[in-house]
This record gives sequence, structure tokens and C-alpha cells, in this order.
Amino acid sequence: MVPTPRSRRINPPTKDAKLTSRHLDKGVARYYRLYELLSTALQDGSIAPDSALPSEPELCARHGLSRTTVRRALDRLEREGRIIRRRGSGTYARTQRVRPRICLELHALSETLADLESRTTATTLRFDASVPVPQILRTIASELGSTAYLLERLLSNHGEPLSLTAAYLPEPIGRRLQRPARSQTSLTTILGRGRPATAIKCSVGAVAADAGAARALRVSLGSPLLRVRSVLVDEAGKLRAVLESLCRSDRLQLKVVEPQRRHPG
Amino acid sequence: MKSGAGVSRYLRLYRVLSQALAEGRFGAGEPMPSEPQLMKDYGVSRSTVRRALAQLEAEERIDRRRGSGTFAREQKDEAAASRNFSPMLDGAGRQTAAATSRTIASRTVPTPAFLPDGQAEFGTSVHLVRRIRYVEREPVALESAYLPREVGSGLTRQRLGTGGNGILTLLASLGHHSASLEREFVALEADPLAADSLELAVGAPVFSVRTLARDRQHHLLACVDCVYRPDRYEANVAVEIGDPKRRRRTDGDD
Repeated sequence: MVPTPRSRRINPPTKDAKLTSRHLDKGVARYYRLYELLSTALQDGSIAPDSALPSEPELCARHGLSRTTVRRALDRLEREGRIIRRRGSGTYARTQRVRPRICLELHALSETLADLESRTTATTLRFDASVPVPQILRTIASELGSTAYLLERLLSNHGEPLSLTAAYLPEPIGRRLQRPARSQTSLTTILGRGRPATAIKCSVGAVAADAGAARALRVSLGSPLLRVRSVLVDEAGKLRAVLESLCRSDRLQLKVVEPQRRHPG
Repeated sequence: MKSGAGVSRYLRLYRVLSQALAEGRFGAGEPMPSEPQLMKDYGVSRSTVRRALAQLEAEERIDRRRGSGTFAREQKDEAAASRNFSPMLDGAGRQTAAATSRTIASRTVPTPAFLPDGQAEFGTSVHLVRRIRYVEREPVALESAYLPREVGSGLTRQRLGTGGNGILTLLASLGHHSASLEREFVALEADPLAADSLELAVGAPVFSVRTLARDRQHHLLACVDCVYRPDRYEANVAVEIGDPKRRRRTDGDD
């Protein structure tokens, strides 16, 4: 049951993928492999839209898996809207949506932000004064006090959530900011009013979606999300905001192109 | 919220709470959400909540006091920031003794479909070098580099060595300098190979950086897929917003 390579795969499976029981939860691994296999087949059209998937007993027999494992894989595909299960008649492939991802290019932010604003809608979920700042954000921007204004916004594209951003603003900046209602303006533009923010230091990583993020971004609990923490400063080097964005990697493509210095030796 | 059955639910809740503790979202001695609250927030059963808490308790990261609740303990791992190995992995040229690597594959493979213009740039086959990178003997990254065959064939195991540098730094030391790097950041679930290499469970979130390195003539020099443990690595990027003359012309929103 070796799946065929596809574009979003991390690493094509190879024979050096020796599975040891030490670090693996066997149950998760089995379910995941079947999920991947079916997911690939649905994506590349080997299982065409509207055609039937093998039945549960067939999948069990073919892959030597328990009914529970097979159901877990199918549950997930159903949740993702990729198959439909009809009682008494079987499981069918749905038309696979191939939605182009929105691309954000960090090296050309001014240009791509304009494009992003024209294609997305921002909803303000929260705008409050005197919110305690998480310790980790104070570590990366010590100028931010123990409390700050918090502006929380959800960015969507055709009603589908892309990213959830918590912006912590120093008190003087927060006070000047009017509650940005439903708006298409990007945060960098909002914060740039008056004096433009000129530099952003970002750190990009991945996290598991917690309950709040999972609900807002409509993913399941623990799903991988990109986390971008950015520190915005103005021309004078003064802090304007610290942003923590959680992004759906399947909807938002985050890229950066950098000319490379030759390193000595 | 539906979030997969059995094992994965408990693992997912465990991961989310473990992450919150590691980041200091609950200070030492501070109360954690109650069991009923966790059941409600995460839409899981009491036994799932208890399983996740039991694991955190076994790791001595929380205290459960009968009748009074669950409390965060002082996290034994040093502060999350000091466990971030990014400087050791990105410090091109400045190799530290703490960083090492192990080559797990070096061979010719068919050109993968995901390489942009892979066939045109590389032909029908490429050289794959796959290494696990360690910091303080802890696996932190699984690096898979797809290289032109003539470059890859020069990379003997001896040349690859066990040093901590990334493959692009190694290539530069052999005279293959990159003129530009295009990096794409992705959050993914660990596949079995990544999970096994990085000592994570299959399906756990991982941070992946795909780098396309080009030479001065804009030819593809390498495509490097690096999958990192998200608790040990993040990528740093500095951004300047626009150039001044463009900003003057286009920022007419006042």
C-alpha cells in the first residue's frame, strides 16, 4: 500500500521509511496511511468524482486493517467534504475542489498586500483595551507592556477562513485607532495610517490548532497551522504592534525570495 | 467539534495543552481549565480529557489536586525560547559542536513531479540526499535535497560527513553557490518517515520549509525540503514594507 507521490507530500515514501514501534502510535499510523492513500487517489482522479469507493469490508481485507481504522480514514475524508457516505448504498467521491491558494510574498509585501486586500474580507472579532499580553510576546518585544490593546481579526476568502490574527498594540496606538469594522484593509495599512510602519521582523513556525483557532478557522482540533509572529516598527524604530497570525497552510501560501550573500569560505 | 476518534482525540488535546504549557500560557501554580471546561471547549469525553491530563501529570508538568483542580507546574524544560534551535541550524558557516547530522539516503531517483520545471532543469532523474539534523543529539530536522545528478554524485558520504551545516552551506563549500533562495513555509502533519525521524507521532504538526536555490544564471541548483520539529525551530524573516517612492504614490488612504 505504497501511495504514489503527489505534489503536497513532504517526502515520497521510500524504503528508508522504516517504521519502528518506538515513536509511532500504531493506530494513528495505520489510519493515516489509508487516509493518505485514498486522499491521493481522490486528488489525482484515480477515483473519479461520483464513482464509488471500495466498501468498508473490502478496504479492511485489502489493507489488512480493522473496521475502526478504515472508518477513521473515511470519517476524515467525509469531514473534509471529499467523499459522501450514503446509508445502505456506499461511499462516493465528490468533485474535488481545487481552490487556488492565496499567495503572500513577504519580500514584495506592498504589492502582494494590495492583491490580498482585493481578494479577502477581514472581520473584527474583538477590539479591547487593557488585555494582558502573553509572556512569549513580551519576550520578543519588551517595549510592549504587560497590558495592551488587542485587535483580533479573521481574514476570509469567499467565506472560507484563511487566517486569524491577534494584534497587540501599545496603549497610545490602540487609543488612536477606531474600531475597524468589517473592512478590507490590511492591518499593516491600518497601522500605517499617519506614520507608516516600515519594518517587520517575522518568525514563522507551525502549531497545533487549539479550540479557539480550530473553531474560527474551521479545522479540526490539533490540525497543523502556520504561526507567524511579527513585530512592526516605524521609521524611528518605535514599536507599533506585535502580531500573532495563525494561517491555514492549505489556503494561504507564504513565500519569501531572498538574494543570497556569498558566505566566506 | 468532531476531531477524529479515540487515540487521536486524546493525542490532539494533549498536544494543544502541552504546547500551551511550553509557551508559558499558564504560569507555574496557575489553575488550568477544569475538566468540564475542557470537555466543553474541545468537545471530547471525560475519559479523553483525563487521559491527556494523566499524561501531562506523568510528565510532571501539571498537578492535579483532588477537589481543587489542575495547576500548571514549573516547566522543567528551559523557557521555550531557549529550546529554540533556529540559530544552531541557520548559522551558515558558524558551525557549533552541538549541531550534527546523519545521512540516511543518497541515491538517484526519478525527478519528482513537484519540482517546478524539474524535468527541464534536471532531466528525468535527480540525486536525492536525505539527512537528519540534530542539535544536542536531539533530532530537529529531516532534510531532503533534490540535486542535479552531476552535483549530487560528487557528494559522497564522506563529503556529506556528520557536521551540522545545512546542505546548501555544504554545496557552497564545494563551489556551488546559490544566488537566490525562494522559500515557502508550510504547516503539515508528520508523515510516517518524518514522524520516525523526528520522534513525533504520525499526524503531529510539523513545520516545513521548501527552498528553491538558484545560481546566478537563474538555473535551479537545488530543491530542499526541510521538515522541522515545530517546538524546536522557527524561520526568521525580515521584511521592509515597500520602497519609499512607491509608498508615497500609493498610500492615499487618508
